[in-house]
Amino acid sequence: MSVATTSQTRALPEWRRFRFPQSLYKYGAVIGALAFIYWSLEMLRIDVERLPGMLGRMGEVLSERYWPPAVSHVLEAGYLQAVIDTFQMSYVATVVGMLIAIPLAWFGAYNMTPSRRFLYPVARVIVMTCRSVHEMIWTIVIVAIVGFGMLPGTLAMTLFCIGFAGKLLSEAVEAIRVGPVEAIRASGANEFQVFVFAVLPQVRVAWTGIAIYTWDVVFRAATVVGFFGAGGMGHFLRESVQRVESNQVAAILLSIVVIVMIAELVSAWIRSRIAGAIA
Amino acid sequence: MAANADLSRYDAEVEKLAAWRARSRRVRYTIYFLIAALIAWSVEAIVVGDTDWSRITWASMLDTAKRFMAVDFTIFTNLLLPALETVLMATLGTLVGLVLAVPVAWLGAMNISPLGKATYGIGRLLMTLSRSVHEIVWGLIFVAAVGLGALAGVLAMGVRSIGFISKTVAEAIEDVNPGPVEAMRAVGANRFQILLFGILPQVIPVFVGNVIFEWDVNIRRSTIMGLVGAGGLGLALHRQMAAYNYGGIATVIIVILLLIIAGEIISYYARKAVI
Repeated sequence: MSVATTSQTRALPEWRRFRFPQSLYKYGAVIGALAFIYWSLEMLRIDVERLPGMLGRMGEVLSERYWPPAVSHVLEAGYLQAVIDTFQMSYVATVVGMLIAIPLAWFGAYNMTPSRRFLYPVARVIVMTCRSVHEMIWTIVIVAIVGFGMLPGTLAMTLFCIGFAGKLLSEAVEAIRVGPVEAIRASGANEFQVFVFAVLPQVRVAWTGIAIYTWDVVFRAATVVGFFGAGGMGHFLRESVQRVESNQVAAILLSIVVIVMIAELVSAWIRSRIAGAIA
Repeated sequence: MAANADLSRYDAEVEKLAAWRARSRRVRYTIYFLIAALIAWSVEAIVVGDTDWSRITWASMLDTAKRFMAVDFTIFTNLLLPALETVLMATLGTLVGLVLAVPVAWLGAMNISPLGKATYGIGRLLMTLSRSVHEIVWGLIFVAAVGLGALAGVLAMGVRSIGFISKTVAEAIEDVNPGPVEAMRAVGANRFQILLFGILPQVIPVFVGNVIFEWDVNIRRSTIMGLVGAGGLGLALHRQMAAYNYGGIATVIIVILLLIIAGEIISYYARKAVI
């Protein structure tokens, strides 16, 4: 009797979102994360005491040394030629890279690859390697091998394009419907015919979009490959940085931002036009 | 009589179809021609105009390639600390990006943007700006602003990460299930409470998954930050380059590859665990 009353009258513990063991894990995780951040800041020798005033100092440095940007520098004929060079490098790299990436995407798509034993891993490893190494490292290596100029930039961008587009293209292939593939195969087509008549028609639109998107990513990278000895706008950037011509650096950086944003808008516009034309 | 009228209408349809096909064919061939002409013009500029072929010989290329092959494993242990720095820079950069991406996603999600179209436009502009500038350029901007060192790299990667994280999160916010939000509004929750308890729990998986993905990408970016003056493996690479130690460059690249493969494996399993 008395047992029953106490169990009824005893107040329930106060409601909390996290009770004892969970709350321990939660706070432990928070403390662990904070300790990790502190340790990383120590390891990287980042001076935390300087952080609070950082924004103000940043504004000061930018306004005193980098403002106003030397706009006349980016309107010189040499620089405008470099903009055209950058476009040419990105364009050739995208076209050549896509031509190489297309067969690799076919071989590297698990559902459509002609041989899962041999071609599939080979294609995947090639695409993975091109992807893993940053495009600037490719540039450095190729500049060392073939010398300065637009050619190494184009080659490095081509490798970057293979890695970037190869993955997206083969993902598009892996998402196709199998109906047409089986129909074509049932009528006695070989692997190549299956690719041309069953796979290509299904991925054509997606691939065109990927190609244009790849171009604008490649163009963005092409604006800076010159920094490591390949051609284009990056070359001017390097010269101004080395001569500590801060106003010129500011102008070049601003021009890169503007041009890349224009390229991105153009690419988005073309992609929406293509999607509209098909739909 | 009636059959004739039908036929003539049929003929007109056929004519129209034929004209449309001819026109679309003309458009297509014009596009093909433009693509080819651009190729010819660009290849001419790169291969003929800009390259001095007398300077590039098979012998010299093979010689350089051979020097790259002489991988210098003696510096391997010296690269472990820079490798750790690279990972830490990428992690802190991702954290900075994560924090900065939250307000941008809030501005750039149409359904919760505080002042409707105006702030939505600002949010979208910030996303495009963050993504369309190459990490090297961000690196140079922050090295100029805060000086040489890892901090510049961390900030550069943070700003560069905003675009991807906030764009995917904003899209997830626009797709949330409106049920919980309406239920909360019905019981009198304010905007902030709706955001915190109605929307946030729904987008957390997307958010965390994409942050892990971005961390993996940031490791790759972090390896080159040293080239513009932030620390890590990029700095080691820069030193080997300055010394023309090709074997050393190859060693650093191998360490970078190992690091990136490790990062990819970790992020693959972490994403699997979250989603």
